[in-house]
Amino acid sequence: MSHALRSSLSRRRFLGLAASTAAGAAVLSACGGRGGSGGSGGMKFWDMPWGTPAFNDAARQITTSFKPPAGVSPVSYQVIQWDNFNQTFASAVASGTNPAVSTGGGFQSFQFAQQGAIAYADKLIDKWRANGLYDDFLPGALGGMKTPKGYVAIPWELDPHVWWYNKKLLDQAGAAVPTTWDQLLAAGQALKAIGVVGFSTGAGSGNSLAYETPLSLMIGNGGGLFDPGGNLDVLNARNVEAIEFIKQLQVQGIIDPASVSYTNDNQTEQWRGRRFGLGNEQMGLADNVASDVSSELQVMSPIVGPHGDKAALVVENNIMMYRNTPSQEGSEAFVEHFVRNMHVFWDQNLVNGLPVLKSIVASPEFQKKTNYYKAVREYQPIGVSYSARGTTVGVDQSKMDGNSAMYQFGQAVLTPNVDARTALTNLSNALSSLLKR
Amino acid sequence: MTAASATSDPPATAGTTSLGSPSSGHNQQARQVRRTLTVLVLPSVLLLLLINIYPLLYALLQSLRNGTLIVGGDFVGLENYGDVLADPAFWRAVRFTVLFTVVSVFCSWAIGLALALLLRSDLPGRGGFKVLLLLPWVVPIVVSAKAWNWLTATPQSPLPALAGLLGLNTPLFLADPTLAKIVVCAFEVWVNFPFMMMMNSAALASVDDSVYEAARMDGASGRQQLFHITLPLVARSTYISWILMTIFVVNDFPTIYLLTGGGPIDATTTLVILAYRSVFENFQVGFGVAIAFLMSLTLVFVSVVLYRQVRKAHA
Repeated sequence: MSHALRSSLSRRRFLGLAASTAAGAAVLSACGGRGGSGGSGGMKFWDMPWGTPAFNDAARQITTSFKPPAGVSPVSYQVIQWDNFNQTFASAVASGTNPAVSTGGGFQSFQFAQQGAIAYADKLIDKWRANGLYDDFLPGALGGMKTPKGYVAIPWELDPHVWWYNKKLLDQAGAAVPTTWDQLLAAGQALKAIGVVGFSTGAGSGNSLAYETPLSLMIGNGGGLFDPGGNLDVLNARNVEAIEFIKQLQVQGIIDPASVSYTNDNQTEQWRGRRFGLGNEQMGLADNVASDVSSELQVMSPIVGPHGDKAALVVENNIMMYRNTPSQEGSEAFVEHFVRNMHVFWDQNLVNGLPVLKSIVASPEFQKKTNYYKAVREYQPIGVSYSARGTTVGVDQSKMDGNSAMYQFGQAVLTPNVDARTALTNLSNALSSLLKR
Repeated sequence: MTAASATSDPPATAGTTSLGSPSSGHNQQARQVRRTLTVLVLPSVLLLLLINIYPLLYALLQSLRNGTLIVGGDFVGLENYGDVLADPAFWRAVRFTVLFTVVSVFCSWAIGLALALLLRSDLPGRGGFKVLLLLPWVVPIVVSAKAWNWLTATPQSPLPALAGLLGLNTPLFLADPTLAKIVVCAFEVWVNFPFMMMMNSAALASVDDSVYEAARMDGASGRQQLFHITLPLVARSTYISWILMTIFVVNDFPTIYLLTGGGPIDATTTLVILAYRSVFENFQVGFGVAIAFLMSLTLVFVSVVLYRQVRKAHA
């Protein structure tokens, strides 16, 4: 799952709040319900709140402007809240009341595909190859959705983890914008000298940066959670080296000692208060900071690892089609309509992810947003997902985002008396156990 | 005729019952009343079964399967329970749940009782004081947790800053495992003491002042009055409040989730947080429900033990 909007409450935080009413055996029992009747009726598109309410207004307009092919009913639009969205979709699929098309969690389409609920998009992509839309996708964007059985979904937005710095603070510290780990260390020391944190991170409640930040460094060093064959391989040398580097930053006081308890809000507040000067964060950071500090925040070029590797964690938010649909032809026509019209999200500044279409990147409206433009030019081409160092997302890879082992790993990395190898060993054991169950 | 009288009528004596006899008519009438009552009660019983028994049975079945949020999974017998009991994380959560519950229940009860006794006196403006004391209980937990996070989370937050000014080396309240445990327990006590205060106030209101007057005339000290009059007389209410608070605290998800999320490194993970993670983060429904089921069984056991104390106190 990826995160496009992080203004005040993250997606998992919403999930947690909803689940706060769901404690106890009786209520937990409600999840995973099965049964139901066959799905039929009108075409439904379920969308998530990917930005402000204006985003959903724009998406609704795209939906209502859809002219269905002959014999296909119009498509209705519905916003599904992030709280308990897994359960909402799972219950709908199980009961046959699922939508024909939806957006959702970053790995939702992979997980539903394993249950046989997803209509693969290969036919649609073949059509796009013929009509030219295929060529409008950024290189590699569609490939992220490919599994051995076919394309599980179509990407519509990229959610990258990029390096940010506060230009004013870096200038004040007299430090250069780092391009290597050594320079990152030097910039961190310079920022520390003026009382500013040189490596932002956090591992508090619901903060997915807990694991996304160390994973970004591991991936940026040529590591990852899997080997090239797709087998779990957490304890590889590159990962150990990356976590040891974070530990080095911690020992030198470049990381905020309270980070282990920081929620996403706490982190944003530290950036807003000019107490954080540099870090690997999500694309929406400057928008979420939402103050005069926003204009001081700039995306820097990806940092090169000590072995010359350059890679970034990028998750693709996607639009998926379900097998249980009133009309597969209608589903495909709608997805194409959505993709051809989604430029309004960037034209009107409604999302804080990156576009997947070259035509949107080339638009003057988008190029005015210098941080976004830099990210799409420099981070998208080197983007890899949770499957790194493997290339395809299978059953195991789709379970990596947001599981408790990853959160605990993030906390272990920021706990002073836990060394890198122990943190990774514990992660490896926990993930192995999770995948076995 | 009331239900009690209808059902407590003596049965007709053998040999005296025959069609058309007064006794036979009486029995017929009683049966008819029983039938009517059964029909009237049936919808409520069915509703209760649907609301309480069905989810419990469904939960039990889920705990015996290896399903996810998407699929029901295969029947695995007691494997989930075995996995839960063999998981060190479960036992860590058990230990902290017990600590969290004991500290929260008894501290909130002690503070609640002390304040109830204070409010029993002729304190000027005690009405307003009472309302203010109720605020932690009335304010939504999300708001309270946000406020406590603001007070404690960062080195620049008011409490660490204050501690720093006092020369205490800027404690990291939520980042240090021990301090995080103290903070979540303190927060739980802060949220729950008003409830205990109300329970104790209600119980104390039923104690006649003449009892204390008599004790004072007999030379009883304040301490003796507390231990030999107040506590025994409010014992029933105390046990009931302990039962309720134990259930509230053990099942309390938002307090810990919003403040620490169970961290740092599992230091504040309770059973309900562990169950939540299993189901909603790891999608291991059977494992998570097994935790919740074990938790529920333990709660039922504790409640029964405490309820026996209530009955003893009543007797």
